[in-house]
Amino acid sequence: MPHDPKVLDHEYDGIQEFDNPTPGWWHFLFYLFIVFGFFYTVMAFMGSPYLPDPERKHEKAKLAATMKKFEELGTLEATPVVFVEKMQDEEWMNYAASVFAGNCVLCHGAEGGGQVGPNLTDEFGKNVKTIDDIYTVIQDGAAAGAMPAWGQRLHPNDVILLTSYVASLRGTSPMVGIAPEGEQMEPWPDAPPPAKPEADGGEAGDG
Amino acid sequence: MTAIQSGVGGRTELESFSYDDAIVRKFFWATLIWGIVAFLVGVILAFQLAFPQFNLIPEVAFGRLRPLHTNAAIFAFAGNAIFTAVYYSTQRLCKARMWSDKLSKLHFWGWQLIIVSAAITLPLGITQGKEYAELEWPIDLAIAVVWLGFFGTNFMMTLIKRRERHMYVALWFYIASLVAVTILHVFNNVWIPIGVVEFIKTGEITSASNLMKSYPVYAGVQDAFMQWWYGHNAVAFFLTTPFLGLMYYFLPKAANRPVFSYKLSIIHFWSLVFIYIWAGPHHLHYTALPQWASTLGMVFSLMLWMPSWGGMINGLLTLRGAWHKVAADPVLKFFVVGVTFYGMSTFEGPLLSVKTVNALSHYTDWTIAHVHSGTLGWNSFMTFGMLYWLAPRLFQAKSLYSMKLASMHFWMGTIGILLYVISIYTAGITQGLMWRAFDESGSLMYPSFIETVTKLMPFYWIRAVGGTLFLVSTCIGGYNLVMTWRNRPAKYEVPVHQAPALSKHYDDGPPPASRLTANAGVGHAGDRFLQGHWHRRWERLPVRFTVWVVIAVSVASVFEIIPTFLIKSNVTTISTVQPYTPLEVAGRDIYIAEGCYNCHSQMIRPIYAETQRYGDYTKPGETVYDRPFQWGSRRIGPDLGREGVTNPNAAWHYGHFIDPPGTVGGSIMPSYKHLAQKDLNYAEIQARVMGLAMLGTPYGEAVKSAEELARAQAAEIAEQIRTGNTGVEIVEPLEDKQIIALIAYMQRLGTDLYAVPEAEGEEVAEGGDQ
Repeated sequence: MPHDPKVLDHEYDGIQEFDNPTPGWWHFLFYLFIVFGFFYTVMAFMGSPYLPDPERKHEKAKLAATMKKFEELGTLEATPVVFVEKMQDEEWMNYAASVFAGNCVLCHGAEGGGQVGPNLTDEFGKNVKTIDDIYTVIQDGAAAGAMPAWGQRLHPNDVILLTSYVASLRGTSPMVGIAPEGEQMEPWPDAPPPAKPEADGGEAGDG
Repeated sequence: MTAIQSGVGGRTELESFSYDDAIVRKFFWATLIWGIVAFLVGVILAFQLAFPQFNLIPEVAFGRLRPLHTNAAIFAFAGNAIFTAVYYSTQRLCKARMWSDKLSKLHFWGWQLIIVSAAITLPLGITQGKEYAELEWPIDLAIAVVWLGFFGTNFMMTLIKRRERHMYVALWFYIASLVAVTILHVFNNVWIPIGVVEFIKTGEITSASNLMKSYPVYAGVQDAFMQWWYGHNAVAFFLTTPFLGLMYYFLPKAANRPVFSYKLSIIHFWSLVFIYIWAGPHHLHYTALPQWASTLGMVFSLMLWMPSWGGMINGLLTLRGAWHKVAADPVLKFFVVGVTFYGMSTFEGPLLSVKTVNALSHYTDWTIAHVHSGTLGWNSFMTFGMLYWLAPRLFQAKSLYSMKLASMHFWMGTIGILLYVISIYTAGITQGLMWRAFDESGSLMYPSFIETVTKLMPFYWIRAVGGTLFLVSTCIGGYNLVMTWRNRPAKYEVPVHQAPALSKHYDDGPPPASRLTANAGVGHAGDRFLQGHWHRRWERLPVRFTVWVVIAVSVASVFEIIPTFLIKSNVTTISTVQPYTPLEVAGRDIYIAEGCYNCHSQMIRPIYAETQRYGDYTKPGETVYDRPFQWGSRRIGPDLGREGVTNPNAAWHYGHFIDPPGTVGGSIMPSYKHLAQKDLNYAEIQARVMGLAMLGTPYGEAVKSAEELARAQAAEIAEQIRTGNTGVEIVEPLEDKQIIALIAYMQRLGTDLYAVPEAEGEEVAEGGDQ
């Protein structure tokens, strides 16, 4: 093999080895990552603001998302007026539908027809008589913990919007629904005149 | 100036010896048979994911079968392949027969027995619940004896009694594998066996399952760390280094070309052995593992890229000047594709270890695709290449039965791998992106988990096809090898070789002069070091070489393990976190036995998309009583870290366990209705709680009345179920059934963080009364 580099003067069961140098690019990348590793580690141990800090990043993302979601809404107040008013707000009810899909459908069914949890579309309530009760049940839970207290987990606005959304399910006809439980509920209060919502939203924000 | 001249008293005589190929033939067949078994189980699993109705009986439902697949693929198939390579090449590289035929046989039969016991215990739900370390304590002990006692002793003694002065690079890799696997296995499997504890304390053992059951001495964060130190390095020292050794022997043999670079062998061997161990924590990015460990895991993984590629370069460049042979020789075809897959996987590994990438990839099928490009592409193809090369030699046949079939095996296998990995990469990235997608309103785009599962079904079908192709191609290979074996002579020839024994004294020759001209002493010393004369010396000193390997793998272990255990701030105490109640302990053991961790994680990362979906992220202090930890590594189903907070409804769980798709439309979870039918053995709970208490779980007085407490809590949960809408028929007496314990565990998951602090001990003592 005339073109080959030097073959070393040992063999093992017929296997020989060339005296080739290690490739230059191999060395370059190897040392590059060692140097990178060194600096990265030092920065990490010194708590550099340039490196990812998962918890800090998480708080920031949470804040940003909350801002994005609720900036125009401010902080809602949990009152029957707000519940009823938000029921008319299509955009926010679409939002609440997604909260419902993420947290409620396992027990109450995709359309609120009930499964393990009660049917939310009929005229009867197990723990609910007024629209306020919906809020209380979502916020604090019910049935000895079978219904969790979502106030622990969701943003206060989420609970309020969810209350409106659940209230809006009353009278709809889901594909699948279980038998009514509990007692006849009171009718929801009337919606406020449609001109006022913006002003109400502003006041709620100040409160 | 040679060895012979410096010999003392008759050392120059030639000794006659023959190689033990009978044992190699045994391992050869074991490799093939277990390979087919492992792939078959893999294909069944692929079909179970695509079509859940394939979960026929509880013993072979996905959760119990998946550990059988991984253990069979790693320890049965790859394990026997390693032993085939080691037993064939070591004898020839050492010019010596294996030291003891008896140990060889004990090793072979011992190992097969371990595999068979794994194949029996895992479907029965006898498991430690830690990935690739599932086998329970008696089998752990057997592994230690067979691996170190039989194989290790035999191998090391063969090295010591060798007739070849220097050890070839393949042997270095075998040494590293032997040493590291021993260390990993021993330190990850430190447990107390419950049955034995019970026997010592009470003089009897309640049940067979108590006898087989153990709890690890590590808990929570520490257990997770130990497990992934083990898991990662099992990949390193069971699936990488022995196969590099295999490559270094069989590839130059098959190509009939010298190895590309001896220098590269040295540097990539030592860097690989030293760096690999540090990288384990990259399996736990963004989890409750301390940040510093995660950071080390990432930077060392990046450093590992080039040492890994050293092996690929040495493999591929050895074929320089022999590429024309690759087209004709199926052996070389397998090797080329095998080494190429090795290169791809070892590039992908560091990529996945980057935290930002890992945030997307972790818990998805991306990891599964990565692993299979390594195991199918690298391990299996290197094994097939070796088997095809060995067959005519071991069976003393003129040639392989059919080159055409071998070629067919190769192409079919390659297409199978590509279908598998491409579809599963796509599935992984698709699901990862769906999990983190937000709509304009700032809510999760796919709030219900099931949407991200049903989306993957087409990919799962393609995967099942790819896996089936790979299985069929292996069977074609098996047929070809059997037919080659049928052309064997009536009696195998056993050629006798001759070589002189090694003399006691050996002159390494003078150390090289420095090649530098104008440097200080340090420069000259450095240049002499770089010329590697010292390493040449080590290569003839197997014991010293081994000691250095031990040091190399221990340094990283010591530097990472000791701080993990000693630094208190790593795991901050949360006062409301209490031990599991006795019923929850029983439920947790069922969770482990059913292999729930194969599909569900219990570790919510501090990533907004995750906390939105599952609830607040998991704190290190929440898992302090978890023996073993159950953080999981894949979310085929949703995370359960806060299940008790978001979904505590006992009736829902009851209905869901019995009929998952009936409760969650589109669910691919198997039915667990057998848990609603089988009785819980309340008598065995006492010993388990006692065992946990012995390990330091503060049970206080509760430890004495575990069974009563469990029964009280069960009655309460049974009542919750009876009064709820389960949607399924309830099997009475409800409080006696296993499902109650599992539901108790579900209701508890992740709730302690929100618990109101109570007076000490009350939680446990009153567990069932509330």
